[in-house]
Amino acid sequence: MVDPVWLIIGVASAIAFYMAWSIGANDVANSMSTAVGAKAITHKQAVIIAGVLVFLGAVLVGPHVAQTIKSEIINVEDIESNLLILGFISALLAAAIWATLSTWREMPISTTHSIIGALMGFGIIAGGIGSVNWLKIGSVAASWVLSPVFGCIIAFLVFKIIVRLIFAKEEPVGAAKIVGPIIIGITGFLVSASLLFKTSISKDYNISDFQGLIISFLVALIIGIISMFLLRKTKAKREEDYFTVERIFRKLQVGTSCYVAFSIGANDVANAIGPVAGIIDIGQNGMFTAEATIPFWLLALGGFGIAFGALTWGRRVMKTVGERITSLTNTRGFSVDFGAATTVLVASRLGMPISTSHTVVGAVIGVGLARGLEAVDLSVIKKIVVSWLLTLPIAAGTSIAIFLLLRTIVG
Amino acid sequence: MTDELNHFRAPVSKTFRRRSPFDQLFEHMCKVRECIDILGKGLIKYYKGNYKDFSEVANKVSKLEHEADLIKRNLRNHLPSFVFIPVDKGKFMWALREQDAILDHAENLSRMLDMRHTKIPKELQSVFIEHVKLVVNTVEAMEEAVSNIKDLVETSFVKREREQTKKFIYKVHEFEYKADEKKYEMTKSIYKLEKKLKPMDVYHLLKIADWVDDIADHAENVADWLRSMIAK
Repeated sequence: MVDPVWLIIGVASAIAFYMAWSIGANDVANSMSTAVGAKAITHKQAVIIAGVLVFLGAVLVGPHVAQTIKSEIINVEDIESNLLILGFISALLAAAIWATLSTWREMPISTTHSIIGALMGFGIIAGGIGSVNWLKIGSVAASWVLSPVFGCIIAFLVFKIIVRLIFAKEEPVGAAKIVGPIIIGITGFLVSASLLFKTSISKDYNISDFQGLIISFLVALIIGIISMFLLRKTKAKREEDYFTVERIFRKLQVGTSCYVAFSIGANDVANAIGPVAGIIDIGQNGMFTAEATIPFWLLALGGFGIAFGALTWGRRVMKTVGERITSLTNTRGFSVDFGAATTVLVASRLGMPISTSHTVVGAVIGVGLARGLEAVDLSVIKKIVVSWLLTLPIAAGTSIAIFLLLRTIVG
Repeated sequence: MTDELNHFRAPVSKTFRRRSPFDQLFEHMCKVRECIDILGKGLIKYYKGNYKDFSEVANKVSKLEHEADLIKRNLRNHLPSFVFIPVDKGKFMWALREQDAILDHAENLSRMLDMRHTKIPKELQSVFIEHVKLVVNTVEAMEEAVSNIKDLVETSFVKREREQTKKFIYKVHEFEYKADEKKYEMTKSIYKLEKKLKPMDVYHLLKIADWVDDIADHAENVADWLRSMIAK
């Protein structure tokens, strides 16, 4: 006979896969559509990039945030193992329902907020108010406000740098051929540093922090030189050839699109698999161990789910959204991508579950404030704030209801 | 607006406007340019005493004015306070308003001239034609200034592009000044012929000078609003 715990893990994995699918279809598509709208890549290429790099991001950097969701939101020691399993399942289910509902009504909610709210809800019922780690919730909630702001600031600065160092120069095209590769090199540095600094990879291969720094620097140098090499033939047609500048950034934006996909995979995979990781812990060890690593197959499942979501529904979303935002040119798209992806990647390394969609919106507004966009609709901020205020109580309420229902059935 | 639901939650799609206000301003400007071209050619014929096609000119001007009106209304109605654009929205609206005033004056002028076909005396014809050419030049220079705004936005208002727009704006001022001078010359010549002409003719000739010159005045206003729009 099959162990009932494995049955539960199976069910939970199925729901997690659905959550991952929803993230891929909406959040990844939302972020990649800036590259599609700026015509840096077609929506088919976006799907392929998203599929591969989201998977890599999920597997390589994903565990940080997954740990937070699994064991830091609620004080798991206070709650009985059986209830914990039920709780994780109801939280996952509640978040999935809310994600589906909001997708249907086109509300800009975040799956991250839903899963945190749902975990909070069941924590309060199962172990009392004290069993919720309010300090952690507070810092996570602060990161929700801060991440769009940081995305906004970084995108603002990157765009200002592009204006100062490229557009304001006598020969914008010549300047773009130098500045562009440098920024792409910095991107490479950030990605490899995120992989090599105090991670399982650096432990496995015995890489010290200093060595990690050197390797990352070399990676940055190589990427920078390669992109300079690829751009060497581009020449200005006339003095004020802004079109060629945009064309250079169109090529560079392929790089930042990968960066975006990678970072999103790193942060968002946890929303789907975090709770399942908790259940597996209990199922395998009979008890919850905060230190237990997250199994590779689970990360892969989440990564694959997100990639699958981008591949199926996300493709349509990217196309639709991409067609709406054609006023985004490549220098702007590049700044948005860089600002958003950097914020998301740093947050992922800090184990902060943030909303990638909202960060991208923050970055777009940043470029708008830097006088880079012809019109930005700021009413989107209001919609996002409303979704913040709604998501936590609704997800918590649904999670509580499902939890009570399951407890009566099982108990 | 009834947007069909596509069933996704992608807030990025909601941060962008479907149409750029600067594109629409330029579109409106193209209507102005087309209209003034037609009117300028029509006026020269009219001054030479060829009234045959002038009704056709008046109709074309009215049609263009109406088309431009639709663009203007669409632009005004879809720039609510929560839309952020890289220039002062008030100044932007004033530039649009002055641009539209050119069309209003053009329409008024063509209609009025079509109502009473006033014969322009031989002595006045050349100065009248010179005047209308200067007015058309003013509008053309204004068009250059407005079309450069695309480059300004693309480079996020760098100094080089601002200087370029300013150069176009100076050109508008120059032509407007010349047109003004020409208008005084016209008026003087009309007074000289006072005794020879019928009072109603004098009245109408003076009016024509004013009406045509109004177009240049409003082109200058557009340039002025543009200048303050791009001021640092």
